[in-house]
Amino acid sequence: MTTASEQFLRDAATKTADLRHRGVIQKNIASYDAAVTRGKARYADWQNARSQAAAIKWETVNHLDRYLEQFEQNVLENGGHVFWAETAADAREHVLQLARRHGVQKVVKSKSMTTEEIHLNEALEMAGIHAVETDLGEYICQIRGEPPYHIVTPVMHLTKADIAQTFQEKLGTPPTDSAEELAMIARAKLRREFMTADMGITGANFAVADTGMIAITENEGNARLSFSLPRVHIAIVGIEKLVPHFEDLALFWPLLSTSGTGQAITAYSSLISGPRQAREIDGPQEFHVILLDNGRTRLLADAEQRDALHCIRCGACLNVCPIYKNIGGHAYGTTYQGPIGSVITPHLRDEREWSHLPYASSLCGACTDVCPVRIDLHHHLLHNRRNAIQHKFDNPIQRLLFATWLWTMQSSLRYTIVAKLGNLTLRLGFAQSLLKPWIAKRDFPTPPKESFGKWWKKVERASRPFTPSKQTVETPVLHDL
Amino acid sequence: MRVALFIPCFIDQLFPNVGIAMVTVLRRLNVEVYYPPEQTCCGQPAFNTGYWDEARVLAQRYCEIFDDADAIICPSGSCTAMVRNFYPELLGNATRTTARTYEFAEFLVKHLGVTDVGAKFPARVTYHDACHALRELRLKDEPRQLLREVQGLELLEMDQAETCCGFGGTFSVKFPMISYAMDEVKVTSIQKTGAQYVVSGDSSCLMQIDGYLRRQNLPIKTISLAEVLAST
Amino acid sequence: MNPSRDNILDRVRAALRTKAHRPQAPTNAPIFPPIANPEARFREEFTALKGEVIENAEKLSEFLRGFAKIATDESELVSKAVGETNASVSECELGVTACDCLVARTGSIIVSTLSAGGRALSVLPPAHLVVARHEQVVPDLVAAMALLRKRYDRHWPSALSVITGPSRTADIEKILVMGAHGPKRLALYFAE
Repeated sequence: MTTASEQFLRDAATKTADLRHRGVIQKNIASYDAAVTRGKARYADWQNARSQAAAIKWETVNHLDRYLEQFEQNVLENGGHVFWAETAADAREHVLQLARRHGVQKVVKSKSMTTEEIHLNEALEMAGIHAVETDLGEYICQIRGEPPYHIVTPVMHLTKADIAQTFQEKLGTPPTDSAEELAMIARAKLRREFMTADMGITGANFAVADTGMIAITENEGNARLSFSLPRVHIAIVGIEKLVPHFEDLALFWPLLSTSGTGQAITAYSSLISGPRQAREIDGPQEFHVILLDNGRTRLLADAEQRDALHCIRCGACLNVCPIYKNIGGHAYGTTYQGPIGSVITPHLRDEREWSHLPYASSLCGACTDVCPVRIDLHHHLLHNRRNAIQHKFDNPIQRLLFATWLWTMQSSLRYTIVAKLGNLTLRLGFAQSLLKPWIAKRDFPTPPKESFGKWWKKVERASRPFTPSKQTVETPVLHDL
Repeated sequence: MRVALFIPCFIDQLFPNVGIAMVTVLRRLNVEVYYPPEQTCCGQPAFNTGYWDEARVLAQRYCEIFDDADAIICPSGSCTAMVRNFYPELLGNATRTTARTYEFAEFLVKHLGVTDVGAKFPARVTYHDACHALRELRLKDEPRQLLREVQGLELLEMDQAETCCGFGGTFSVKFPMISYAMDEVKVTSIQKTGAQYVVSGDSSCLMQIDGYLRRQNLPIKTISLAEVLAST
Repeated sequence: MNPSRDNILDRVRAALRTKAHRPQAPTNAPIFPPIANPEARFREEFTALKGEVIENAEKLSEFLRGFAKIATDESELVSKAVGETNASVSECELGVTACDCLVARTGSIIVSTLSAGGRALSVLPPAHLVVARHEQVVPDLVAAMALLRKRYDRHWPSALSVITGPSRTADIEKILVMGAHGPKRLALYFAE
């Protein structure tokens, strides 16, 4: 057991017992499900859209060097800068360097998983740079000093009253009961931040190779303001975010929003090709793309699971996962959560430390069914489990147990004897401690005296009276045999 | 036609009635079956835990035992999926034996072409879609087609029919708190239908659901699809 | 160029020496249903998202009277329809711009720095009015991207946005609120 897995079990226990948490998530996901059903109904052939997206992503990821180079060349030609960051530390250091060079005191940030992945906010604060989260939910979390409660709705756990109180305490605003007024308070406050910030930092949902653009998808408009008003714009982009052609966005934008929120497309889908041009009247003087590896090339090298890099970060697999719905995202203890998180984290981070995540799944397969780019998610969880055993991350007792189990199952005689012993043990009530994780809260069946095998032997020995069915059934034809 | 029975280890030991019910129904339909007594386990517990070398040994053993069968019928979606979908990955390719292993409801509807097996079970019933049967074997309609032909049976749909019950093999004891929460969500959905019974093609799911129902002293009962179809 | 560039590309190339399983190929079947009447579909989608269509010149005058401070992109189309700009982007109550095209399937308006007076004008003001021509309606995003490619290839504006309805958030108790950061109101006027 590692620290991360111990923490996971603790957090899972807390969250699964929290019925309020469960109720809130269920309500949110019910409305998400309804929206996605409506969103998919807009498609003539949703399955073909998935297949097309999977094919484009396969092409991109399996020729990634070519597309990365093409992307870089185009960004440079458009007047932007490209920095290649091998690690999170490299990416953070480069951002700080740029901030120092430009005398940055305040940064406005739009919600970005890559910036969370590299722990950018802490680094900026330590360097004395005030980084303001501008996504409304994230902003509320920031002024409360709390981490986001849930990836899709960061303040799912707060009521209007909670938020009003926070604004009263931290911003000195009058009390209100209206969600609209609260949003307008945040809007006014953040407007001043946008206007006075020196630098805007965003992520990117896609990076377009043939035009050297990054694509940013949002509903609020805070990303647009972050890349329009400050004099420097930095976008931190995972190397897997590439798509080959500008035209591919006609497929990917609706795919992302349909799976992500059920919308046909989000309120703002923007493309940035570079800094302000001479013929333009506003925009940042400098545009920087940081291409982030941070373990992605490790995942790329695993050809069996390489398709996990096709992920467009829609969140659909999280929203359908019964584990995620019961424990919430925070319990995963790492940036990427839910099924995709459990698949990629052992590759992006220490494999042994995070080997428990692929096991925290009942392998129901719902994730694989909803993934818009057809990543074989639940099978990759099995692959990760196999890898963990091959690397001998398991505890020796378990290994011995399975070796014994195999030895037993290789002979029907041994199986019968061991099963009989187990049967007796259970019936006599001696297996309580072994079964504790089950019987703490669930009844366990009392095994019957006679197994199927025993019954068959008995029945076969006696003469079998053949009783035809009450209703006439036509002589069955075995199809396809 | 040599039709063999593949009775998963936990059904053999804990729920033999499910196997007996399946045999009863098949005999009613004039399907002669045989039971290779050397069978033990499909290897899924090892496979799901990551012990693929161990599982591979049992996969090879299965193929040897059932080598001369034209069809192998199994009253469990998860074990059928193990053989048909995952043995090829373990062995490097599908074999005649892996390809001809069928889940019970699947066999009745898709291969015998039968939906009315002459059963009678007057009760309000809701169906739980076991995950492997639903997503690995793509069985959704077939069990329902069978249930709709059962005399006196009223089939009700729960809103969370396709949501995992939380068993997931060793998941249920490795992450018991999550498994229990999922169990609770499932039972809540069952209760909302007003059904007297919850039916499934997978007894492992039924064991998980029953474990909760019995501990909470709820009146709803669990029963396998095979046992419903065997009822007259 | 930093050495990391070579390191990353080397790792990528090494990784790709092993081939990955190829997914099942897509078919040629259309992803979306065809659109019979693009402009009608645009209006339907646009208004469903709380976009406001201003029906005629009279209604336009009425609309404009609600705003004292107006900033425009000073394009010919816009100037003809609403007159001169009288406030800065940051102080105005209404920003008025032209656009690149209107997308029927999603009810979207596509703007760029060149078609809509820069980056901020179409997102900073609390209200945004777009003046468009009927011919600017295209059926879907595929047609829109083709139009943009034709217009801008090799000399792209530094920013373009596909705008679909006013700004919105549901972060507070899942209650839909318009105007989170971008414009609270989005209106469209078809110039004759």
